[in-house]
Amino acid sequence: MAPPSDLPEAARRRLAEGSFSSGLSVADFAACLSMGLEPLGLVQGFCAMQWSAYGGGLLGGVMAQPTVASGGYSEVYQCPHGFVTGEHRAWGQNYEQTWVESAWATGFASALSRMVEEATALGAHGVVGVVDTETPLAEAGVAEFHLRGTAVRVEGAPTHKGEPWTTFLAGQRLAKVFEAGYAPLSAVATVSSVRVWANCVTEYALEGTGGVFGGAGQVAEVDQVVRAHGAARDLARARVRTQLHGDALHGADLLATTREHGPGDLEIQVRLKGNRVRRVAPFSPLPVPQLTVALS
Amino acid sequence: MTSPTPEALDLKAVVRRAVAALDGGPPDTYPTTSDLSIDEELALHSIGWEPVELVSGVSIVSIPLGWWNWGQGEITAAAEAHRHAFANAVARLHREAARAGGHGVVGVRVESAVRPTHVEVALVGSAVRPVGATARPEAEVFTSDLSGRDFTLLSLAGWETVGLAVGASFVFAPRRSVGAVLGQQTQNVELTNFTEAMYAARETAMTRMQDAALGLRGTGVVGVSIAEGPMSFASHAVGFVAIGTVVRPGPAGHQRVAPIPVVPLDDAFVAFDARTLE
Repeated sequence: MAPPSDLPEAARRRLAEGSFSSGLSVADFAACLSMGLEPLGLVQGFCAMQWSAYGGGLLGGVMAQPTVASGGYSEVYQCPHGFVTGEHRAWGQNYEQTWVESAWATGFASALSRMVEEATALGAHGVVGVVDTETPLAEAGVAEFHLRGTAVRVEGAPTHKGEPWTTFLAGQRLAKVFEAGYAPLSAVATVSSVRVWANCVTEYALEGTGGVFGGAGQVAEVDQVVRAHGAARDLARARVRTQLHGDALHGADLLATTREHGPGDLEIQVRLKGNRVRRVAPFSPLPVPQLTVALS
Repeated sequence: MTSPTPEALDLKAVVRRAVAALDGGPPDTYPTTSDLSIDEELALHSIGWEPVELVSGVSIVSIPLGWWNWGQGEITAAAEAHRHAFANAVARLHREAARAGGHGVVGVRVESAVRPTHVEVALVGSAVRPVGATARPEAEVFTSDLSGRDFTLLSLAGWETVGLAVGASFVFAPRRSVGAVLGQQTQNVELTNFTEAMYAARETAMTRMQDAALGLRGTGVVGVSIAEGPMSFASHAVGFVAIGTVVRPGPAGHQRVAPIPVVPLDDAFVAFDARTLE
């Protein structure tokens, strides 16, 4: 019996039509056939998410100790100068924007599970060649998550018991992953988001000035921002680890972006995605590679 | 397609077995993470190396105001900030790699930017080690921006990868006198102040990179990439940055590699990419 599904009626009718569709290139399609992966359908999942602009509360003002309690990584940077002026950034803070991260995680996971649901409805063993896009909508803090891939059945294999596996890989690269003794489990992705409110020292360093002491600054590492970058990367990797459940991450892609909202107000986002794969056969020793030069 | 080698794998059977094996539990090992492609991973494996962990190192170092627009000779604060930023980022990368049990980091993606008031450097790569090897002290970890394939090829040729060498220099092109500007306005004329500044920056940066290579006890630098030109934010400053991987011959010296010439018979084709539909 088919599992309960909330797929649109039209989608179920289309999937049951019998002709297959696939997002694979012809070369990847051919590689899939040689692996015994029979394409069943181009499956997709969508999710539009909005996240709150300030999930953690507002700063208490420049002179007061900041109060953003995000429930995640957070560090406070105090001014070493004592009272200077009302505009002096006496406090700075790095904090994890957990609400952004959880909205992102929900959006990606929902789109992924909707895609997998379509694959399940097709009786697929897995989904190969997954492509994901996260497109910001016109409104700030709104993004559309779209995942698509080609549902496949493994020729001659018994009906799949669990959920279909998913992978960003397809074609010869996937064939080599199998040959290397891995089996794909899941496309994984995560985002970490760290906001930096510079304190006076960080602000002066970013501006290149000596601040209250006047004159030019010094060549020195901008500790607060560097720590925020480190934290954002550590968080992304730690979170992906929790999705691996003891398996390996193959073909990872780490993308870090920094947005400057204003002087001394930075948002660092790190997106890490890759393929959760399991070693199912030992890595057989490979011969020393033959070196070739193509005469073309 | 049949393969000429008798021990060739039955790919369909491999896939069937792999998928069936998923019903068992995950392995009881610490999971590896890597950004290597499967080709790079196989290439490394063929010389007995394996990836252990995706590692990164970041540094941002400030440049004091007032260095870019007036003065003469080298903008030493910018060069110093550049050197600090790379050294700190590499040190963090090595720390992470050593902690994960890696002996080196390959395929390092170098992202760096020189801004008016700071230099940013971000490095990401995969820590690797000889299969099953024990951890190595941080000071002995190496870094390379070469791909897994290039690392394999160097190793087959008997060369060791020892680290990343960076040299940077930023130099003022002295302003011409008002008289010179006016006098040269209607002529085709070489701006020798800029040409000379470029040469000065080039020499200093290349010397720094080569000195860094010697400091790592290497014999040379391969795969040098160069970023040079006028600084977009300062009208009279030029910069030159050179980055490459330091190598030296291994204990057995250079091994001659004799590649087999092959004539590929396939036509060049343009692969379809689903992303082009976006």
